[in-house]
Amino acid sequence: MAEGLTRRSVLAGAAALPLAGCAADDDRIPLRWWSPQAAPAQVRAYRAQIKMFEAANPRFRVLFEPTSDEGYPAQFAAAFAARQPPNIVTHLPSFAAQNYYAKGLIEPADALLARIGAERFLPGANDVYRAPDGRLSAVALGGTAVDMLWVRKDLLAAAGMAAPRTWDELRRYCQRLRPRGIYGAPLPYGSNSMTSLIFIGFIHRAGGQVFTPDLDIALDSAPVYDALDFYRSMREYCPPGATSFGWSDSLNAFVSGATATGIYGGRVLINVARQNPRIADEIDCLTYPTASPQIPAWTFNDFPSVFIPRGVSHPAETLALAASLFDRAGYVRQLLAAPGHVLPVLHGITDDPAYMGNPVTSLFQPEIERMTVAAAGGHNLGFETPAHRPNARAGEVIASNAIAELVQRVVINGENARQSVGRAVDMIARVMKA
Amino acid sequence: MRGTLAHLVRTLLCWACILLIVFPLLWMLLTSFKPEDEVFSVPVKLLPEEWTIEYYRILIEETAFPTYFLNSFVVSTATTLLVVAVATIGAYSIVRFSYRGRAFIASGILLSYLLPSVVLIIPLYMMMVEIGLANSLASLVLAYASFALPFALWLLRSFMAAIPEDLESAAMIDGASRLEAFVDVVLPQALPGIISTMLFTFILAWNEYLFALVLVNADAVRPLTTGVMTMLVSGFNIEWSLLMAASVLMSLPLIVILAFLQSYLVRGFGAGAVKG
Amino acid sequence: MSGAVSRLLHRVPDAALGPLLIAPLVLILGAVVFLPLVAALALSLFEVNTLTLDAAWAGLGNFARLFGDEGRFWSALLVTLVWTGGTLALQLLVGVGLALLLNEDMRFRSLARSLVLFPYFVSTVVAVLVWRWLFNDFFGLANQLLIGAGLIAEPVDWLGTMPNAMLSLIVVGAWKFFPFVVITVLARLQTIPPQLYEAARLDGAGAWARFRDVTLPQIADVLAITVLLRAVWDFKEFDLVYLLTGGGPVNATRTLPLIVYQEAFGLNRIGMASAYAVAMMLVMSLFFLVYRRVSKGQG
Repeated sequence: MAEGLTRRSVLAGAAALPLAGCAADDDRIPLRWWSPQAAPAQVRAYRAQIKMFEAANPRFRVLFEPTSDEGYPAQFAAAFAARQPPNIVTHLPSFAAQNYYAKGLIEPADALLARIGAERFLPGANDVYRAPDGRLSAVALGGTAVDMLWVRKDLLAAAGMAAPRTWDELRRYCQRLRPRGIYGAPLPYGSNSMTSLIFIGFIHRAGGQVFTPDLDIALDSAPVYDALDFYRSMREYCPPGATSFGWSDSLNAFVSGATATGIYGGRVLINVARQNPRIADEIDCLTYPTASPQIPAWTFNDFPSVFIPRGVSHPAETLALAASLFDRAGYVRQLLAAPGHVLPVLHGITDDPAYMGNPVTSLFQPEIERMTVAAAGGHNLGFETPAHRPNARAGEVIASNAIAELVQRVVINGENARQSVGRAVDMIARVMKA
Repeated sequence: MRGTLAHLVRTLLCWACILLIVFPLLWMLLTSFKPEDEVFSVPVKLLPEEWTIEYYRILIEETAFPTYFLNSFVVSTATTLLVVAVATIGAYSIVRFSYRGRAFIASGILLSYLLPSVVLIIPLYMMMVEIGLANSLASLVLAYASFALPFALWLLRSFMAAIPEDLESAAMIDGASRLEAFVDVVLPQALPGIISTMLFTFILAWNEYLFALVLVNADAVRPLTTGVMTMLVSGFNIEWSLLMAASVLMSLPLIVILAFLQSYLVRGFGAGAVKG
Repeated sequence: MSGAVSRLLHRVPDAALGPLLIAPLVLILGAVVFLPLVAALALSLFEVNTLTLDAAWAGLGNFARLFGDEGRFWSALLVTLVWTGGTLALQLLVGVGLALLLNEDMRFRSLARSLVLFPYFVSTVVAVLVWRWLFNDFFGLANQLLIGAGLIAEPVDWLGTMPNAMLSLIVVGAWKFFPFVVITVLARLQTIPPQLYEAARLDGAGAWARFRDVTLPQIADVLAITVLLRAVWDFKEFDLVYLLTGGGPVNATRTLPLIVYQEAFGLNRIGMASAYAVAMMLVMSLFFLVYRRVSKGQG
């Protein structure tokens, strides 16, 4: 029976494939490396680093396995639950690392830091990873200045203004652009994590905070209402579709020239170079304007990390692999795979000719410099100021959508701000209590 | 009533609808041939100014796309064959026989169809680890069977219920055993229905995303859906041109299969072929 | 069939054949569905952290919470019902309509039939990305065409305000899944004897009367199955809703599957997620019982 033959051979093939990896010709011990940042250019850089590691450790081979940027919580949940974690994990945001550490799922990273050499890092680069027990949950692999203000020098000149430093100046700039039919900014007003993360930045730029340093909820405070007011007033200068903007929508809006300002990290440089080189000479970036000149700048940095889960095979070689990612040549190459977006956290990289030799980094050197500084002093919900206790539940607070919902209720639905804030406080309290 | 005005109007209407329906896919196809700086041009242009097949080349030569493709093909084929084989004889059993627990089994199967699969993922993954199938194509086949089987059973049950028993009775009077009657009489009658079910199952397995995301993490065994998405789509950046090219290539096999099986599909649900 | 096999099969008594044939299915489903299903039911009675699987007994506490004031079940149920009802109705409308059109003799009919099935083939993830693009303010054709035709001055917010968000969801859902209806109904239409229509026409019945009195009764059984299968599938649909609107604005399109996913992997509360899933099953079982009663009544 022909059908039976095909079925049998197909099933045999299917069963054989997973075994193929263990076939006789490769008996090196596998070490698994997971990362959600796996664009083809980045994977090429990783493979170069892997080659060097394998040459130095011939008994082992490294399997790089990309995870989904959106869906990694499900993948990690399954891996941890089944006690099958990978050997090293890179590029997860700091609050993910803190969350896993608080649950006892990953190793303290002090040994890794010592192996790499703590003095090699820019000052304060690893503060965000300090866990309540005093040890590090992970080590910073890079930094990203996620919410820089991007401007167009030509449009500023046409409006007769300098780059805005305060909210009033930003609003005035957007007003001047109105008659030309150009949108002012691509701020997100969606029911998603970007809205939550971006708005937290605005809360800080109004002089407020989401949690107190002791992690009591501080949403019911004047700066938050100021931020909501401002954010609502900006709605008319943002595109209609901003109510469902995600990161790439916002990025495209600026890169394509549809909005006069952008709110993003270094990927703007890469995309402008590839998709709209005409504006390459006109773009510039600075830290995002604050409510008033007295309030210092606050930049969101998700602090791409590297950590080692608990209970992995071959801990010594795993540690060596993680440390090898910081070897200079490989590290520079890895950064250049996403130039300007993942910024160095080690000393001396920005002056390194290899790093500067890239068309993007050389062309946009001042912008990258500015972003690197901003990122180094950056924060996120898990670490709102240096005085704050680390917040291991930050990821879950974002996932609860409480802050995005707050923004939407006030801005889109026009609901009463006090009641909406009260609602958000309740939701967050429930997450923190669980 | 060919040639009448009404007929012409209906034909035009039909093609207008089809154009509207197919438009997103047409757009996808055209975008896959555009160089990157045309993708985000404002105002929107439908046709590329400069046609390029660069992204197809990159996909096939420089990424693991061919591996993902092969994996998807193997998994979908295996799932389809397994599911349809098991569901066909299962449907026959439910429709033609009576034995203790038959109603219970039928209800149980329906109940399993009602469960949202998200909740099964972690227990299923842990089970796969337990039996040593984690990170393998076989685990995907089993996982897909979990939601494809009830669906296939329900479809096939309807097809088989509509085949009159007299034909089998006649064959058995002539000395055939129950199973011989099944193979020689029932199966050919149900063939269009079986092929329809095979097509639906194949599509289900080919396009599945969530289970593949969690159950399989090694590139060598990753299927197309998760392979392409993980490689090209992140919250921060979407490689649009590559994604469009990949999407076109992903849809190709289904189109080819459909071209061959179209007539079966149509016959599958034909007169008296389906009973509730 | 070969003689040896045939003789072997003759030996299997009929009484054993029934259970024997259903055995493989029961075995597979038992392993890959029943066991995880039991696990899910069990999980719903505990508070369980998804990552560590640390469990604390909650009894019916999860259910009390989700059905109560703090819970989101009732509002999400309403949203899910609106979504399911809306998209199912549109799927049936467009599906039957196109099936009728495709039933006619016309040039390139096979091509037309193949083309119309495309939305069903393309992966949901890709389809939603393309649709989001089409709805985009700047690069989206939807807005471009409307602005070009002078119908609107500013781009429309298709996905972020109500009722647009729910309407867009319903339309995209219908676009994606209506080919299933076309396949099932078209096949049935092909087998309706033309004499029935002739007779009706001779009796003076107009187009609508012919549809109502000849076509509809003939396709009723196929429609019934289609409605059941599609309703369950749409009710459970996650990818489409999650990727297109993410549940927004606020919670206006937050269907139950989205909540299950959020509880399981965003909030790391897999016990609660299982409770929502069980509640979903109860609702669907209820509808299925009603469906059964109605179809038994007519059958």
